[in-house]
Amino acid sequence: MFLFLGLFFTVNAQKYMTKNGYIGFFSHTPAEDIKADNNQVASVIDASSGEIVFQVLIKSFHFPKTLMEEHFNENYMESDKFPKASFKGKITNLASVDFKKNGTNEVIVEGDLTIRDATKRMTAKGTIEIVTGGLNANTKFIISPEDFNIKIPSVVRENIAKAIEVTVSMKYAPI
Amino acid sequence: MKKSLKIALIVIGIMVFGGAVVGFYLYNLKPKDLGKAKPDFVLTSIELLKFFEENEAAAGARYINKILEVSGEISSVERGENNSMNIVLKTNSSSSSIICTFPSLSDPEKYKERSQITIRGECSGYLMDVLLNNCVVAEGPK
Repeated sequence: MFLFLGLFFTVNAQKYMTKNGYIGFFSHTPAEDIKADNNQVASVIDASSGEIVFQVLIKSFHFPKTLMEEHFNENYMESDKFPKASFKGKITNLASVDFKKNGTNEVIVEGDLTIRDATKRMTAKGTIEIVTGGLNANTKFIISPEDFNIKIPSVVRENIAKAIEVTVSMKYAPI
Repeated sequence: MKKSLKIALIVIGIMVFGGAVVGFYLYNLKPKDLGKAKPDFVLTSIELLKFFEENEAAAGARYINKILEVSGEISSVERGENNSMNIVLKTNSSSSSIICTFPSLSDPEKYKERSQITIRGECSGYLMDVLLNNCVVAEGPK
């Protein structure tokens, strides 16, 4: 929260923000497909430094089936104990992004993803599209439940993929 | 086969079948429709944010996972992914609001900025804003 506000209140730089962003994930196994959507992602991009921050509430991920959502919150994510997940990173090829010109830019983002108080260094490729009145950012990357100390009982281990695909889709407005 | 054994097998059979039916039912249970749900708390968007700003832990214990009926003024309507819509309710704060996510919302054009609305949703907690999910319109807009 404080790192987020820190970025939010630093003066004299062009920043973009959204609190209605989207993060979804998808797990495919022969036993079942599991997907969840979260449309309440908060994020800030600082165009001058390339810093980028995301925050989500675990309880804002929604599943088509109630039981999946219950298991996700209670057994795997323990969302009462670890209510938030966050990412703090940087665009590593910031020089190649022209924030003044409409168009799509390929970016590489590197930073720390924190889920359940476990932090992992991540690198993902994505795009930042400069549009009139803001920018859109999109990426897809893979994470593994084991990287964040998520314990999955062996009876259902085959139902949950070892590689979970995360989709991020954001529409930012200048602040 | 002894009669008692036969009865025992039938009883076990019924139990297994019953268990499977219940299991299948639970597995396929959809998120509950808040259209008919009775709210646990009825309050305004201004009050709700104030509770979380004053004491996040206490407000969380009181409201998270509960059904809230929140009235307020619409500050914006945003389209999300997979048919979802977010209606953002104004509060007394310039940086924080109540974000209400609807799995789907018919006639989104009808929800104009500055109109009054009452929304029923499940509280997920507080990030920079108070977040409600699985929302339905209880009353309005007017």
